[in-house]
Amino acid sequence: MGLFYCPLCRLTAFTGRRHLYSGSHQQRLREALGRLQAKVQLARKMIKNAVVVKYEVGEHEQLFWCLCCKQEVKRHLSHGSLTVLHGGLLQHMASLEHKKEANKFWWENKADAKIKEQFLISPEDYERFKSSLVKALDAYEEKEDEVIKEMASHIREVEQSRQEMLHAVLEPQTGTEFCDESSAFSTPGGHKSDITIITEEQLGPSAIQITPDLDWMEGNHALTFIGHQESEGKGNVHTGAKPPWLTQDEEEFGSKQQIGPSYEEFLKEKEKQKLKKLPADRVGANFDHTSQTGKGWLPSFGRVWNQGRRWQSRHQFKAESGKDRDSQRKTQKRPKSELQ
Amino acid sequence: MSFLLSKLTSKKEVDQAIKSVAEKVLVLRFGKDDDPVCLQLDDILAKTSHDLSKMAAIYLVDVNKVPVYTQYFDISYIPSTVFFFNGQHMKVDYGSPDHTKFVGSFKTKQDFIDLIEVIYRGAMRGKLIVRSPIDPKNIPKYDLLYQGI
Repeated sequence: MGLFYCPLCRLTAFTGRRHLYSGSHQQRLREALGRLQAKVQLARKMIKNAVVVKYEVGEHEQLFWCLCCKQEVKRHLSHGSLTVLHGGLLQHMASLEHKKEANKFWWENKADAKIKEQFLISPEDYERFKSSLVKALDAYEEKEDEVIKEMASHIREVEQSRQEMLHAVLEPQTGTEFCDESSAFSTPGGHKSDITIITEEQLGPSAIQITPDLDWMEGNHALTFIGHQESEGKGNVHTGAKPPWLTQDEEEFGSKQQIGPSYEEFLKEKEKQKLKKLPADRVGANFDHTSQTGKGWLPSFGRVWNQGRRWQSRHQFKAESGKDRDSQRKTQKRPKSELQ
Repeated sequence: MSFLLSKLTSKKEVDQAIKSVAEKVLVLRFGKDDDPVCLQLDDILAKTSHDLSKMAAIYLVDVNKVPVYTQYFDISYIPSTVFFFNGQHMKVDYGSPDHTKFVGSFKTKQDFIDLIEVIYRGAMRGKLIVRSPIDPKNIPKYDLLYQGI
């Protein structure tokens, strides 16, 4: 009996190799093998029909811990832009080294020999996997081709519709450009001779606009011309003359001799100043004197009390007076004390 | 549609409107009530006036009743629309040669609303000239008519 280190349980057993038969070791062994078994079973499903997908960074770089070989092995097999799901695991399990290590592991840990077969991939199975993988690769390539063709046709479609739109926009413009101009510029009367028509060419490139939507203007009437505005030395908005709203009217000038506010305005202001001196929170400070008052504005204290409680007579009165009073109450704000 | 909007009939009233409308875009439509294009424009103005009531005050002005203003703004074609903000004439770059007024009718109500909003925001930032947000192809074209230039 000596010291014995169990790498699976990660402890030094003073009982020696007898530890391998102990319940705790066997329990731990079963758990570890169960975890690996789940992964292997997933991979075994791939033997018959292998799956090839597009390579994704991170997702397809997973490693798994091989319990027997005590090393990390790639779970998926990736090459270029393709990934064979669980290919790495199957490849590892089918290798001779793994078989050797597995035998060793089973012997060292006294595991159940019946389940050892599950953790080994036989050469026949591996061959089957290879053949199914070839099929899967072919199918994947076909699918990719189809996707590319679809995308190409979509691009072609978009390009064609763009071309069509471009044609639709450009064609009517070239045909109607001159009509548009003449209709928009046509002005009644014989004053056309003294009007300089500035065409788009003269205005420069900034003024040239693509005008496909001019049917709006075509349907319109031409603007009404009301004649030139002769400035006669007075100047206008273009010459920076004094605007009319700043010039004083002559008749106004004569009548408004008085400088400053009028007497009426002064009286009004004085009244306001007087009100400001009163306490701000006095009763009715914000009362609107112009508001309307209905006939039901007087306070009503209920009916005459004869018997019972006082509130009973009040409630009776309320019930008698009916709903019209209620509606009045809503429209007229009345202090709570008056309602009692 | 001119009966839906208030009118200014004399120079005094126009003066008063320009001086008194505060913190709002004042829209003055110079034109005639029975002109077909004016009717179109008035329709747009009347239908948007309520939506724009916090941003703009819209008045109709008859060109014949205020010759001083007609002459000052060099109005040759009606309708011509002029914008003010706090008594200042707002200029707008429509892409047309004239920045002082909008000549013709707007294509849609939205065009007018956009323009008012741009003028309002520009004026609030202290700008006297703003760029028109209206699509250039929706701005009616007319010939430049200033002293034969």
